[in-house]
Amino acid sequence: MTMLRIGVRNLWRSKLRLALVAALIGAPFYLLLVMQSIGDAVERQTETLKQNVNNTLQLRARGSMGHVNMVGNEDILPQDALAKVKGVEHVAKVEPYLLAMAPTEGHNFAMVVGVDPRDTRRLESHGEAGNPKILFGRDLSDEDRGKRIAIVGQGVARWAGIKPEEVGRATLTLDLKRTHPVIFALDHPPVALTVVGIYASGYVFGDMQIFMPIDAFREAYGIREGISWLYVRADSAENLPAVERQLRGMLGAVADIISPTTVAEFQSTATAAVQRLAGSGIVLSAVLMVVVVFFMMLLVVRERAWEIGTLKAIGASDSGIVASFLTEAVLLCAIGALAGAALFGLWGGPLAQLVFGLGVSPFLPPHYSTLAATLSLAPKFGTTTLAVLVAACVFAALGGSAWGIRQIVRLSPLEAIRHE
Amino acid sequence: MSDIRTESALIALRGVSKLYHRGDQVVKALDGIDLSLPERGMAAIVGPSGSGKSSLLHLIGAMDRPSEGEVLVAGQLLNTLPESGLTAFRRNTVGFVFQSFNLIPNLSAIENIILPMEFAGVAAEQRKRRAAALLEQVNLSARSTHRPRELSGGEQQRVAIARALANNPRLILADEPTGNLDSRTGQVIYDLLKQIAVTRTVVVVTHAELLAAMADRVLHIRDGQLTADEASSTQNEGAARTVKVQTEANR
Repeated sequence: MTMLRIGVRNLWRSKLRLALVAALIGAPFYLLLVMQSIGDAVERQTETLKQNVNNTLQLRARGSMGHVNMVGNEDILPQDALAKVKGVEHVAKVEPYLLAMAPTEGHNFAMVVGVDPRDTRRLESHGEAGNPKILFGRDLSDEDRGKRIAIVGQGVARWAGIKPEEVGRATLTLDLKRTHPVIFALDHPPVALTVVGIYASGYVFGDMQIFMPIDAFREAYGIREGISWLYVRADSAENLPAVERQLRGMLGAVADIISPTTVAEFQSTATAAVQRLAGSGIVLSAVLMVVVVFFMMLLVVRERAWEIGTLKAIGASDSGIVASFLTEAVLLCAIGALAGAALFGLWGGPLAQLVFGLGVSPFLPPHYSTLAATLSLAPKFGTTTLAVLVAACVFAALGGSAWGIRQIVRLSPLEAIRHE
Repeated sequence: MSDIRTESALIALRGVSKLYHRGDQVVKALDGIDLSLPERGMAAIVGPSGSGKSSLLHLIGAMDRPSEGEVLVAGQLLNTLPESGLTAFRRNTVGFVFQSFNLIPNLSAIENIILPMEFAGVAAEQRKRRAAALLEQVNLSARSTHRPRELSGGEQQRVAIARALANNPRLILADEPTGNLDSRTGQVIYDLLKQIAVTRTVVVVTHAELLAAMADRVLHIRDGQLTADEASSTQNEGAARTVKVQTEANR
């Protein structure tokens, strides 16, 4: 206990020394927190990018657009493709669609899409854009399965003369026998659809679509089996290439698989590179902190070899001396670490921004060009992070101190006093 | 030669040598020293620089181990004691006074004196009382809370002497205790050591002739060998006797 008390008391032997050592320990600790915060921010940003990135594949019958009445493009996928695709590892969701074309004015046409009410309302040519905004009425719901009802784009509504106030009552009739240069007739009676909603997609062709329940579509168009489009979403961007490989192996003979190639590129370059960069920064800072703290404590011990010799000469035991110096090392380190953490809390954000702008940003792939400006580098850290870093710091201090004291305490008092 | 353990002297050395290794070179600091010093009184070890004075003192104080020979102090055969035994010996039997005072800088004068008593497990109240009494003995009661840097050299050395006395050791060893002091301050230290030597043994390594003259015995050392062992002239006026010491080398 006596020596532990001496260790605590030694901490305050000189305020200047305490401040200097705490600053030297605190500085790399501070830098480590900054790098940690950059790493966290990059991780968050990467996750956001991953979520926003298109990790969906589109399957269509080989060589066909998959529209059931489009000249030369009427081939559709076999029905069993759906079950096969659902069985593939890392497939998160599969959405089947049936599509047909409906002539409107002149050479124009609308697109009729059969969709499961729980799936995305995908817009032709803009498959990644889904669920357009409902302007009037309501969207399709589970209760609409099998019913001849539809939501239509505002372009279709305008062509059909359906006014907003008529939504829910208005009927849109599709003449399946009507032809067009690229649309052939189907020998089925006209389909009368009750329009329950009008949507806006933001672009002209997107507003020329009619979404109806897929089972109602099958009945109306006489398509008992088969799928026009299958949208397959992988559980993550990382797994998309693997899913694509499996699908090609399984359905390559009957299906065209349209893959967003940027995803693989994103995964192999941006994500991995940024994570590697941020991770390297953290590792380097951690190594710097450990090295600085280790040698700092080693120096603190070695400059006081004469004191260790004196303590031995006046009867202190070796174990007592070790305990006193280790106590001092732990406290010094804890103060340094807390000083670093406090400094980070006060001025961590701007410095992190600066370090990121100068040291990390220039090495990032172009996808991250705006990251420096948008990255949220809040000077925050979790209790666990702080505990882990302080523990690492304390272990480094104990290591440095123990290493130094081991060399001196085994000397005779005389040798220790004369030790340089 | 009789067993050293039967010696009645406080300090007894038999055939003690000390070798130091400096790179490939071996330096013989002490060469076959035989010596006996009784309980109480002051002995001065004198000799030119590098003659082995301090090495001899350090061996007597268990600050170092001999390369050869036996060292018996207060009935303890130091060359056979384990490290823990040497620590206990330094704590209880010997008090050391250094040329550079070697006070712990962040402790006050009284805390420096209390420290050896803390190591010895003396009760808090008792050690405070004793430290205060020792400070009074060295005339520094008014400076008890001062840190070493706030004390003059002479004051620091008096604190160091009080610290050496803290555990009431039978033996005080002083290595050039006035080496860093002016002559007037040195005189104060001499008087203090002389006073202490009334009740216990004080062995002093010194270049100062005045201090040597105050000693009851003066041990002359040269090239690691005791060359003369004499009673101080001031102590034995008119009857100064010089004993030529037979060293291992001379035999």
